[in-house]
Amino acid sequence: MTSLKEFTKGFVKENPVFVMALGLCPTLAVTTSVVNAIGMGLAATFVLVFSNIFISLIKNLIPSKIRIPAYIVVIASFVTIVDMVMHAYLPAIHKSLGLFIPLIVVNCIILGRAEAFASKNNVFNSILDGLGMGLGFTLALVVIGSIREILGAGQLLGFNVLPETYKPMLIAILAPGAFIVMGLLMGLMNLKKKK
Amino acid sequence: MNDVFAVSAAPHINQKISIKSVMWQVVLALTPALLVGIFFFGIQSLFLTLYAVAAAVFTEALIQKYRKVPITIGDGSAVVTGILIAFNINSSSPWWLPVTGAIFAIALGKQIFGGLGFNIFNPALLGRAFMMASWPTLMTAGWKFTAPMSNLFQSSINGLRNLPSNVPDVVTSATPLGVVKALRDTTQISSDMANTVMDNLTSMNTLQDLFWGNIGGVIGEVSAAALLIGAAYLAWKHIIEWRIPVSYIGTVFVLIYMFGGINGMFSASIMLPLFHILAGGLILGAFFMATDMVTSPVTKKGRLIFGMGCGILTVVIRLIGGYPEGVSYSILLMNIAVPLIDRYTVPKPFGQIKR
Amino acid sequence: MKYYIKLGFILFIITAIASGVLAYMNTLTQPIIEENQRVAQEKARKEVLPSAITFEEVIKEEVTGDLIYHIGKDAGGNIVGYTFVASLYGYSSDVKTMVGVNTDLIIEKIKIISQAETPGLGANCEKPEFQTQFSKKQETDMKVDKDGGNIVSLTGATITTRAITNSIKAALDKLDLSAEKAEGRIE
Repeated sequence: MTSLKEFTKGFVKENPVFVMALGLCPTLAVTTSVVNAIGMGLAATFVLVFSNIFISLIKNLIPSKIRIPAYIVVIASFVTIVDMVMHAYLPAIHKSLGLFIPLIVVNCIILGRAEAFASKNNVFNSILDGLGMGLGFTLALVVIGSIREILGAGQLLGFNVLPETYKPMLIAILAPGAFIVMGLLMGLMNLKKKK
Repeated sequence: MNDVFAVSAAPHINQKISIKSVMWQVVLALTPALLVGIFFFGIQSLFLTLYAVAAAVFTEALIQKYRKVPITIGDGSAVVTGILIAFNINSSSPWWLPVTGAIFAIALGKQIFGGLGFNIFNPALLGRAFMMASWPTLMTAGWKFTAPMSNLFQSSINGLRNLPSNVPDVVTSATPLGVVKALRDTTQISSDMANTVMDNLTSMNTLQDLFWGNIGGVIGEVSAAALLIGAAYLAWKHIIEWRIPVSYIGTVFVLIYMFGGINGMFSASIMLPLFHILAGGLILGAFFMATDMVTSPVTKKGRLIFGMGCGILTVVIRLIGGYPEGVSYSILLMNIAVPLIDRYTVPKPFGQIKR
Repeated sequence: MKYYIKLGFILFIITAIASGVLAYMNTLTQPIIEENQRVAQEKARKEVLPSAITFEEVIKEEVTGDLIYHIGKDAGGNIVGYTFVASLYGYSSDVKTMVGVNTDLIIEKIKIISQAETPGLGANCEKPEFQTQFSKKQETDMKVDKDGGNIVSLTGATITTRAITNSIKAALDKLDLSAEKAEGRIE
């Protein structure tokens, strides 16, 4: 029961983007299309799960004074691995995500989970937590990405979903669109919680 | 925005004035400009305005019903927003452009902040910025010239068209300000030619055309005269106050006179500042948008600062920025500064000693 | 004091392990990345100069910066044209264009190979309708309509169009092969 909770809490109840407002920089920057959102979400999930595993494993070996630099080294290593692997095997997505893959290092979600969860819990729960949070992050990105891609390009996953006569609402794929869509979704979440 | 609305030291007098009466008088003041728009651009202008108004009013009612607050569509504020949205598009726009603009303006520009009185930005301007970012081609291309356009203005445009090195696109999407912008930016025509075109644009005849409305442009800003009639009415009824429009337009006048010429500082003739005031959306913006009661300062000194800020930003955008026109963005930017301006210009109560 | 040495030592161990792992991963992925880039470039070259089978890299030193270009040869080893990458800063990014020209320096085809311009405006330069207009044009045609030329600019993205056009013009200027021909380095 509790393990399941560790896994599912990241989806809605403690959603990293909509509820905790963490990792907003990639959220705003890469959600111009669903493909980018999925790529970013899964890359972050991978890093999150593996950094959680390692930090949970070595939590007793690291003195608390140097825990932050140690976490950062672990996280940066996994990010670099993801960066290299994506560059080699998924060049197209790597190109469109560009700088934002190396920037996963400074994504607050990952350091946040390492500090708040993995450094205090066992490996199994840390995996579940990382996976849940990562998927919650991915879910948020995909929702924002779908809305922006449909409105801003008339497409979903690159396929035309709206009639030819639809004139794309460009603001949705520009920077202000990211803020507006995310703000409205956060507002909706709060509204639901209030009721 | 009579003196009674300004934050001032006691004593205060109570006056009978309501949102409702103010807003409907603004609607009345906007009517001459709308009529001129219909006269020059055809009945389509009226339909576009009605779509925008209907969308604004409907959105307001729908959201207020959902929020379970009193429905206040009768106060006319949504009507004003709708008209101003329609004033910012050109008459060949599709019907859905003013409709989406008005929905955005009311829903995300006003109601999401809590309705009238709580909005940070002028909703109509936010709607325009939204349309501009979403469909830039619809908002800037396809300007219509008014039917009885004067020969002289036509010839100055023809002058551009027949230039040896040819600047065709300047002409197809030319508003007067667009032509001036192109003159400043292009390196392709000789300075003699540029000076000639500039002289044509700032001639008395062109200024008269700009004043009466014989120019290309969007529905509402075509005739300075019609807008000024409305503004005079509002000033007479003490609904707008002189400080914002005067400091705004005055700042534009001075700065354009100083920096507006194409041959360096102070190279502009005295006609150029007049041209900049009459062309584009400055009159509409200064009298009807910058003076919006909710989104402008409540102190007298604050209003002067607000107007000057708008003027500086407008000139910076027109002369240096990427767009030919900067009225709407400059007002929106100054809207953000309003709480700060108010905070630092609160008058001292009578009798308080300066420490 | 001893305590801090211990801390430093632990941190050193962690970073050492991390760098080891990364170095190993790098040896695995680096060849694939380079191969991918080479294949992509080769493919882009073939696309802009379809008649060529093999390409030979030449680096031309210029006062204004080196130009790297490729000589395209057909199956018989005859020169059929040249390809090069033209690049200039557009509205929000470096716009890189692969250009193929025939031996008379008339453009065969162009292909935008990298850009991050505004979606919906400048990013439309990736559309084939925009790129085909460059075919059969030469250096003197490289002028955007707003500057009095014949290259039709993208709606709302004159700056992007201008960057592409001017970068091609500059590269063509550098490519001017008369000097090489005189020296007999190429026929």
